Amino acid sequence: MPLEFSKFLKKIGVQVVVGRWSFQVEAMDRGKFSDEFIERSAVIYLTEEFGKANGFKEGDVVRVSSGNKSVNLKIMFTDVAPENGAFMPNSIYTSYLSDFSNFKRFNATLEPTDDDVTKPEEIMQKVLSKI
Amino acid sequence: MHVCTGCSCLCDDIDLKIENGRISRAYNACRRGAGIFLNISSSRAKPTIDGQQVDLERALQKAQEIIQDSENLAIYGLDTTTLEAQRLAIELAEKKEAFIDDNSTFCLGDFVEMILKKEIPSTTLEEVKNNAYVLFYWGTDPYHSLSRHLSKFTYYPRGGKRQRGYEEDRFLVVIDIRKTHTAKLAKKNARFLKAENDADIIRGFIDALEGRSPKIFQKEIPRILKEMEKGGFNVIFGGLGLKYGLGGDYALLKEMIERMNERSEVYFMPAGCHPNMRGFNELLFEKTGHVNRYSFREKRSSDDFAFHRLLKNDSADTALIIGSDPLNSLPLEYAGKLSEINTIVIDPRETFTGRVAKVTIPSALSGVESGGTMIGADGSRVELNPVFEAEINDEYILKKLLEVV
Amino acid sequence: MPITPMEVYKLLPKTNCKKCGEQTCMAFAFKVINREKQIEECSPLFEEKKYANQKEKLLGLLEPLKEATETGLIVDEERCTGCANCIVVCPVHASEDPYGSGSGYGPKIEDPIYRLEDGVLKIINVKKCRRYGKNRILCVACRENCPSDAISFLEG
Repeated sequence: MPLEFSKFLKKIGVQVVVGRWSFQVEAMDRGKFSDEFIERSAVIYLTEEFGKANGFKEGDVVRVSSGNKSVNLKIMFTDVAPENGAFMPNSIYTSYLSDFSNFKRFNATLEPTDDDVTKPEEIMQKVLSKI
Repeated sequence: MHVCTGCSCLCDDIDLKIENGRISRAYNACRRGAGIFLNISSSRAKPTIDGQQVDLERALQKAQEIIQDSENLAIYGLDTTTLEAQRLAIELAEKKEAFIDDNSTFCLGDFVEMILKKEIPSTTLEEVKNNAYVLFYWGTDPYHSLSRHLSKFTYYPRGGKRQRGYEEDRFLVVIDIRKTHTAKLAKKNARFLKAENDADIIRGFIDALEGRSPKIFQKEIPRILKEMEKGGFNVIFGGLGLKYGLGGDYALLKEMIERMNERSEVYFMPAGCHPNMRGFNELLFEKTGHVNRYSFREKRSSDDFAFHRLLKNDSADTALIIGSDPLNSLPLEYAGKLSEINTIVIDPRETFTGRVAKVTIPSALSGVESGGTMIGADGSRVELNPVFEAEINDEYILKKLLEVV
Repeated sequence: MPITPMEVYKLLPKTNCKKCGEQTCMAFAFKVINREKQIEECSPLFEEKKYANQKEKLLGLLEPLKEATETGLIVDEERCTGCANCIVVCPVHASEDPYGSGSGYGPKIEDPIYRLEDGVLKIINVKKCRRYGKNRILCVACRENCPSDAISFLEG
């Protein structure tokens, strides 16, 4: 059995910058409950250099946590992500992880996970069950 | 030609091909804009009560009952609908002595307010196209949020005094925390300043204007100022990055713009997404002197009346949300509370908020299925030219709700 | 992504046999990319077994040539946001369509080089492009102003 090195990777801390991403906005019009919405929203963008230096490949699923909240997102590489940080398109995923005090930039940790990406319905359930 | 309501550019040169009563092609619109026209039948909202589909009449009637019974109504959203519908929503808020707020509270309402109060000079995109030389994009990535901004209005088009193309007749300055797609365009005759701290950059400009060497970007800042003097007409587009970077304190920004204007004309314009956010700000401002976060009962605006604060503090028993999805766009610990109170969602499409709402009422897509007027980010009024005319639109629904108050 | 002559050269026999009519394999590589020569004109590559592996790789490498227009232009719609920078910046559009695309609007001429269709860039009439034909100019204005690399030219 091949060794799963990702299991031995430690958590890394990053600052996540939140902004608009045209491709994600387009998916919203196709439908917020569509697979395309998840595909383009449940994503955290890193530069290839930073991602690889930390042992991540494009397509890896990571648990992104901020405070006591976390979601599973897919890693994608782009050269417009912050050099030593991450970028996320604004959506229910960033709304869940952030607060007004850190609305467009928040600190988060990334760690490998074998779970699937989180669906919007799962976030809604988490929020509503707390109320 | 049709008007795209995808963002505050309100591009008015959209050509559509209609075949068998359907939009089959969209010309000249960007990806985001074309998506609106081409996906009109996708994810459309249905009339519901407590998550169960009902007929429209029943949903409208239930909404009327809820509005009638509400004691502390909060009206929210409104930035994707027309001035005509916004006016009705404000009338409803007034009659119900309700709270009213829109996305601008956490978006660029502060900038619009400064402009409407004439605290900072502003101009129109037409003037920018014909005259502007130095163009700042500060804390905004229009390549994604206002895709045609640079090609239709600012950096690339030839117009008026600027006939020689961007390489000679424009100077681009992009200030952002990361090298965005827009920042990648800052090549020849341009500068990209990586902003760790927006206030430090503003101080740098003020220092240079006062003859001191700036502490950061010692070469770039004096060069940009020199270019501004050369150009004579310059404009700063401020985005959410600048707003949140400054943390709500705009004294330095205002000082910088004032000082810059001693040497050359410098205008400030908001670079925000929502197509008719400025429209709402202007209407409420005309009526109350405030752009958002307003209580008609207390006749004042306050941070406590921001929609998320009303939810946090349990100040509203009913929320009427028009064309917005707080569960997608507001921090969820507040937005989640919408499931606890009587929430009515009026929206053409399915939304996360709709899933937790008491009542959802499907509406028409402004600009595609219903007409009216919007005000772009620069204050210009644009008449929409819809492709279809749906009977049930935001105006119709709001009029129905007004019938019972 | 553009294909460089060097990439093609590396996979050629590199014997400078002149059977293709060119003096060197490097010169042949240039012409292949410019579509002035067909790769099949390198007969040793196709006839001699020892080059079979290289041949396969080369054919794979040159696959995008079939997709590219006569000017070597390739548009990757997946990367395009429809910003229209390329359309407005185009010098041909500026001179032939000054009040349409030259002024920032959608093209007002019937046969522009580019137009936005369904939110992304479409090539309408490549013959107008300054890169087309015998007296071509290697203009890169559109590519230079596409920040997401949706536009590329085969020869880089």
